[in-house]
Amino acid sequence: MSPTGTFFTHRRLIGLAVGAQMLFLLAVAAAGYATTALGRTITLRTTPVDPRDLLYGDYVRLNYTISQVKPTLWHGPEAPKKHQPVYVVLHAQNGVYEAAGVYATEPAVAPEQAILRGWVMDSWRHGLRLRYNLERYYVPENSGQTLEKAGARRPLLVRVSVAPWGQARITKVEELPK
Amino acid sequence: MSRNLLETDGPEWVRKGIITPEQHQQLLALYPNEGKVVGLLPLLGSLLVGLSALSVVAANWQGLPEWLRLLLLLGSMGGAYAGGEYFLARRNESLGMGLIGLGLILFGCGIILTSQMYQLIGYDATGLLAWALAGTALTYLYHSRFLFILMACIGGIVQGYSTGQLGGFSYFTAALTVFGLGYYWWRRPDALLGTVLATGLLWQAGLLIGHLHAKITWFFIPAMLIYAVGDWQADRSAGRALQAPPIVAAFLFTLGLALYGEADTYAGMLRPPFLAYIGALLLVFGLSVAGKYQRGRVSSATDWLLLLPGFYLHGGLALAIATLVVLYAYSGTVLWRAHQENNADRVTLGTVLFIVTTMVAYFKLTWAFMDKSLFFLLGGALLLSLSWYLRRKNAQSLSSKQPE
Repeated sequence: MSPTGTFFTHRRLIGLAVGAQMLFLLAVAAAGYATTALGRTITLRTTPVDPRDLLYGDYVRLNYTISQVKPTLWHGPEAPKKHQPVYVVLHAQNGVYEAAGVYATEPAVAPEQAILRGWVMDSWRHGLRLRYNLERYYVPENSGQTLEKAGARRPLLVRVSVAPWGQARITKVEELPK
Repeated sequence: MSRNLLETDGPEWVRKGIITPEQHQQLLALYPNEGKVVGLLPLLGSLLVGLSALSVVAANWQGLPEWLRLLLLLGSMGGAYAGGEYFLARRNESLGMGLIGLGLILFGCGIILTSQMYQLIGYDATGLLAWALAGTALTYLYHSRFLFILMACIGGIVQGYSTGQLGGFSYFTAALTVFGLGYYWWRRPDALLGTVLATGLLWQAGLLIGHLHAKITWFFIPAMLIYAVGDWQADRSAGRALQAPPIVAAFLFTLGLALYGEADTYAGMLRPPFLAYIGALLLVFGLSVAGKYQRGRVSSATDWLLLLPGFYLHGGLALAIATLVVLYAYSGTVLWRAHQENNADRVTLGTVLFIVTTMVAYFKLTWAFMDKSLFFLLGGALLLSLSWYLRRKNAQSLSSKQPE
């Protein structure tokens, strides 16, 4: 354990490495916290999924109404490519946000609209399948079963916080009020 | 000579007057207790403690407020690292390294749990990359074999998760393993670490081939590149240890070819574009042979027999037989080299390879023509006589080379 320099002694380097790991964990937490504190909340609606596929261990797999959109919503210089990052403009209809347009570059939007970042998963003549990185909801232990049953019958309402810098995370998943 | 031998047999030598008690002490002083061995106990201990802590916390995890969860994660990780430093400073190497390793494992758990807490995990591998990066940094900082092995495992896990769950190969993790751990091993050659590193790299190479949906034979280009690096390593035993996993993979593949190559559909699944594959293979072959020549180990070039691309033949049964000939030639050269080097371990290895090849040949060539009971009878007799013959040959060759 010899010193590797005049300033960067072994001890200091170790301290730096451990400190960086702690900072990283704090940064992950801070990013999560800031997304809720500074972001705006929008509500999305899921579509019922095959119940066998819904619950994956400790998370529930969610499929949104905006996960598959009509190809007419596409606004871009060329046809959408697989894995291409896109901007999805959302418009509120009766409190639930639905897709109003899919753009290759960030568009200017009206204040009542919201933008969600997504990726093209698949594109064919009759549809465009998108991914938002919001498809997994980590559920408190043992409560996945109830959500699974509810989600198979009726759509779920998912509250999502979208930060001004584009990061989005799920804050709540609930059953549709009757 | 090992310290164990000195400790157990030393008193007997003193009693017989071969060495004096002083000389015995001097000899013992020459072989101090190795402090750097990878202790299995601290490894298992830190694993068990980590698992139990994890299950206790996990059982009550959802009930805890977020700040307390975060504090628990940070505290346990920091505590493990601080404890490790404490014991290392007091020269308790294995316990200290065990705790440092635990700290690294807790960092990985912390990343996963924090991102789950805020629903941030999903398709993002950044957190896992930070884990692999921390592992590499700590390996260099502590010069620890234990951390090296842990990091090779973490690299494999991150890569497996990346390709399996996130649907993308992490080139960053692969580069970190190749250059981070590879450079470490190159500067501090070590037999055990060589095998661990090669196995970890082969795992990632396999995942890459699967991810790219390439023909599985392409796997042998990176695998033999690892092998060629072993040829250039000055430390012979470390180089050989690095070469063992690729050679095992090549042998198993050739064995599979001998068994199933008869069906042209199977061989067809193996055929990559001829020029590209052969070009790449020849390039690696040249690199390997140049290394062997440089280090004076040209006789080991027979390992490359296993890489003969027989699967381009459309022969059916002829292909299977040609592959068997290659397998026989290979195990024969292993035996021959072992006898040349007077290396008992490798003689055993060569014998086993020879017997395995014979079993495959027998199964392959006679199954269709023979009654089953006769098959077992003849097969058993053949194996017994072969092993008896090779055993006798070993004993002769080893005893004739031993000085009287």
